[in-house]
Amino acid sequence: MTESGRNCRKTDVAVSYGTRRAVLCLMSGCALNEKEFFSCCQLLLQQSEHLRDGWSWEAVQGSEEGYLRKTVLRSVVADCCDAQKQKEAASVSPIFAHPIQELQQQERTQPVVATRFHSDGITGDGGDEDDAVCVLSEGSSHVLQYEYHILYSCSYSAPVLYFRAFTLEGRSLMLEDVWSSVHPNFRHCLQNSPLTAITQQEHPLLGQPFFMLHPCRTEEFMRPVLQEAQEQPRPVNYVLLWLSVVGPVVGLDVPLKYCTQLHPSSPSSSEPD
Amino acid sequence: MADDKDVLRDVWFGRIPTCFTLNQDEVTEREAEAYYLLLPRVSYLTLVTDKVKKHFLKVMRAEDVEEMWFEYEGTPLKWHYPIGVLFDLHASNSVLPWSITVHFKNFPDQDLLHCPSSSVIEAHFMSSIKEADALKHKSQVVNDMQKKDHKQLWMGLQNDKFDQFWAMNRKLMEYPTEEGGFRYIPFRIYQAMSDRPFIQKLFRPVSPEGNAYTLGDLLKEMYPAAITNDAHL
Repeated sequence: MTESGRNCRKTDVAVSYGTRRAVLCLMSGCALNEKEFFSCCQLLLQQSEHLRDGWSWEAVQGSEEGYLRKTVLRSVVADCCDAQKQKEAASVSPIFAHPIQELQQQERTQPVVATRFHSDGITGDGGDEDDAVCVLSEGSSHVLQYEYHILYSCSYSAPVLYFRAFTLEGRSLMLEDVWSSVHPNFRHCLQNSPLTAITQQEHPLLGQPFFMLHPCRTEEFMRPVLQEAQEQPRPVNYVLLWLSVVGPVVGLDVPLKYCTQLHPSSPSSSEPD
Repeated sequence: MADDKDVLRDVWFGRIPTCFTLNQDEVTEREAEAYYLLLPRVSYLTLVTDKVKKHFLKVMRAEDVEEMWFEYEGTPLKWHYPIGVLFDLHASNSVLPWSITVHFKNFPDQDLLHCPSSSVIEAHFMSSIKEADALKHKSQVVNDMQKKDHKQLWMGLQNDKFDQFWAMNRKLMEYPTEEGGFRYIPFRIYQAMSDRPFIQKLFRPVSPEGNAYTLGDLLKEMYPAAITNDAHL
């Protein structure tokens, strides 16, 4: 077994099947350079078009620089604060207490719990000043528009997930509301691990506020899967692999068909979903 | 680095005289006077303006007060940029003091990040420090530091303590002499008139032949428009 600090072997695999030529990733270390990011994105895009999964590529001024983008409509039911939290919430400053208008009752696809949490996720001992009121009123059903962007970070040699959410009236969701769409299983991990926290950040290309999943631990969780794939060897799309790990955390589904489409003869169950 | 101590101190102690005026559409119980403050260039607006908030809250009712935000000549000011960057970007050609308008309503959430507490500022600051070290040292130095060291960096900034800050920051500014420099230079070129907030790319401090690059070399590669034929760099 390789030590954690050692680089992965360089593997260069190209696969050709059907009429579509799939270019797979050159791995130099377990990090991703910008050219590799671009190739992986183009491949993911091809598959997305085939699967009608809705991803598009937004280019920056005709260069190879750009990002993947996808918009999703999601119906959520907010099941807000218990009595104790509501009492504490009453003493919190009204900064975030905009009510969201109740929308037409939609079919419930994803019941969601909104909970109180520390808004920054960094210092667990933020104290009362960090507690915020969740904005989705209890029991109400909402249709929200989520917009996901996948950008490349040259600082961390990794893809980064940015996202934002709006009500259909165009009101942006606050961080507290976003937490309510994070699966309870993930919520606990994220809240206690500052380096994978969801924080509000400025989008590096658009300059607007988005939420971001911090990229600095990406290499850490990608390494074991990449090493294993290179030892077999098995072709891998870094961005797709990464997305299948981080996407579900923030409610972004990555259909298994992305993987089975790539390996038509060998049904692969190793892609985490 | 020891020879540069004077430069480091001058950068740290840089100040911008600022005049804060309440937006005239805010609802007040009596007229609000302007508030004057010397702002540290290296700090963040929401970290150093508690006194500004207290001052204007004296003439307002609680129900008319939401999240405070700042604006200069119609442009919302991004609190997550260092104050010196904001001034140089928006107001460097104007007469001092810098006139900033204070708002307590209609937070522009398409332009500005929310700042509900100082721990958000701390998180943002530490995130920048970590990203810079990812470029300089592949994150090795910042990850080897203890949590209390990170805290000391932040406290040094928050409390304007040069020595406390640099006791920790000097570790982040060291590199092995045989390397000639950091792995990559952390830099951002901010632009006022562009959707894209800044240019940030990988840039090595030393050429393949071992010659140190200058700021001019960096600008030539990253922002050639900044260099005219007449400019000497």
